[in-house]
Amino acid sequence: MIEESLYQRYFNALLAGRRPECHETVQNLVDANIDIKALYGDLFQRSMYQVGELWENNRITVANEHLATSITESLLNLSYPLVFAVPRKSRKALISCSPNEYHQVGGKMVADIFELNGWDGHFIGANAPAEDMVQYIQEIKPDVVGLSLAILSNIDQLKHGIEVIRADFPNMDLLIGGQAFRWGGIDMIKSYPGADYVSSLDALEKMIRL
Amino acid sequence: MAADAAVLHEVCAYFDEKAPVLFFKLSPSGVILEANAHATALAGRPLAGEQFQNLIVNFTGELDISAFSEASGPERLFHIHTRSGLPQSFYFSFKPVSDYILVFGRLDTQEIEAMRKEVVSLNQELNNLMRQLHQKNAQLSRLNQEKNQFLGMAAHDLRKPIGLIIAYSEFLIEEAAGLLGKEHQGFLNTINSSCTFMKRLVDDFLDVSAIEAGRFDLDLQPTEIMDVLEQSLTLNHLQSVKKGISLEVQAQEDIPRAFLDASKIEQVITNLVSNAIEHTRPGTAVFIRLSCDNEAILFSVQDQGPGIAPEEMDKLFKPFEKTSAKKTGGEKSTGLGMLITRKIIESHGGRIWVDSPPGEGATVSFILPHQRR
Repeated sequence: MIEESLYQRYFNALLAGRRPECHETVQNLVDANIDIKALYGDLFQRSMYQVGELWENNRITVANEHLATSITESLLNLSYPLVFAVPRKSRKALISCSPNEYHQVGGKMVADIFELNGWDGHFIGANAPAEDMVQYIQEIKPDVVGLSLAILSNIDQLKHGIEVIRADFPNMDLLIGGQAFRWGGIDMIKSYPGADYVSSLDALEKMIRL
Repeated sequence: MAADAAVLHEVCAYFDEKAPVLFFKLSPSGVILEANAHATALAGRPLAGEQFQNLIVNFTGELDISAFSEASGPERLFHIHTRSGLPQSFYFSFKPVSDYILVFGRLDTQEIEAMRKEVVSLNQELNNLMRQLHQKNAQLSRLNQEKNQFLGMAAHDLRKPIGLIIAYSEFLIEEAAGLLGKEHQGFLNTINSSCTFMKRLVDDFLDVSAIEAGRFDLDLQPTEIMDVLEQSLTLNHLQSVKKGISLEVQAQEDIPRAFLDASKIEQVITNLVSNAIEHTRPGTAVFIRLSCDNEAILFSVQDQGPGIAPEEMDKLFKPFEKTSAKKTGGEKSTGLGMLITRKIIESHGGRIWVDSPPGEGATVSFILPHQRR
């Protein structure tokens, strides 16, 4: 659990681009053995959603948003010694951002949640062409594929990605989520059999444990 | 007309104050007569009266402004000194107008945008690689743990049958030698010496497996180190006699008891003395020295062998690494002894090192602090 006052201090530092201060806050939490899920949900996810809202409401610039994202992404590295230390379950997930989607922090956090639950969480990265995803699926042979979408206007590229994957892997379980779906598009996901919408990191964890 | 002039004035004022463009009015000799608000803010001082070229980061000597002042000349890229200390790049146009020169500077926003995207992309790539690195490290660490478990189990299960073979071969060598021909006695000796080496290897594997798994526990008890040394020398005695090497001991008499794991320190001393015998020329001596001061016990063993080349020093404490120094009796080595030795000494809070001046053999020394409790 992250205290509200600590969150506010962190968020102000994040928005102002004060990376060392953010780094120190997160390092202290990791050193104090914070529950990684709380760190991801209550600090990283909450602050990034708040940054996203400020950007969508024209309260901060693209540069502000990119700097905050970049800082958050570098802070994920601090948690990895704990994230990757969890005992394995011989199950694999492949996570990718939708084609043309350049916001990758959410997708990476999803891959980390798989790791925290003992899965191998492979993360391809931002703007992965659909054909590359197919190639990775052939190589890694995952049990499930996750696709992340942050900007709703990229939904057609996401549909294209789903269809390309479905063509080669008709039975592959697909998990789809991201900030974009706060504005709509969930019905599109439901129109694909075997594709499920993931509303949050908590919801993802419940699905993983089923 | 008046309304048009007012609009034009407003537009000019807007660009002068808000737009990230530079505007200068220069004299024909390059003196700044006027500068817009953005140029003044960027420089951090009023610019009127300064030479325009003083504002430019110039690596090529004098700037001849008149050379750029043709009406149809191309844009020129210059970097401007700014108050932040970081130069900023602008594309400049020079326009001569009657008796002065107008200079306009613009940022290439497309170029900046392309750079920003590239930096974001590189940063993402770097972070993804960091994640992969952590992931691979964790995988390797798990594999290493599994390897150690396997090694420990395999070595443990091998130890008992090897011990039986050694015991029965010794029994046959002693009891049945008269019944066997010379060739068959040789076979028995080979079985015995090979199994003895195999047991050493298995023991070393078990030690390394325990060290790497973090299960290397010490049983610290008040210990007379002189007793430990004497026990080790007894174990090394036969080996030294076989090679005609004398073990010359110089030991201080009043060494106080120290908290040590006696069996592990005995393992260290036996190993170091054995190594020294293996590398020493037959018919000479190995020198063993033991002393102490208020803080620590100092032990060293000096051989009379070929020594260790400086470039091979860092191989000494690495697993399965061997130096080019030949053993004088062709003895076999597991390649793990020095690694285990160092671990034992460091577990006691001590330190081990090697000196090997050219032509003087090698001296291995360690110190052990007196107080551990």
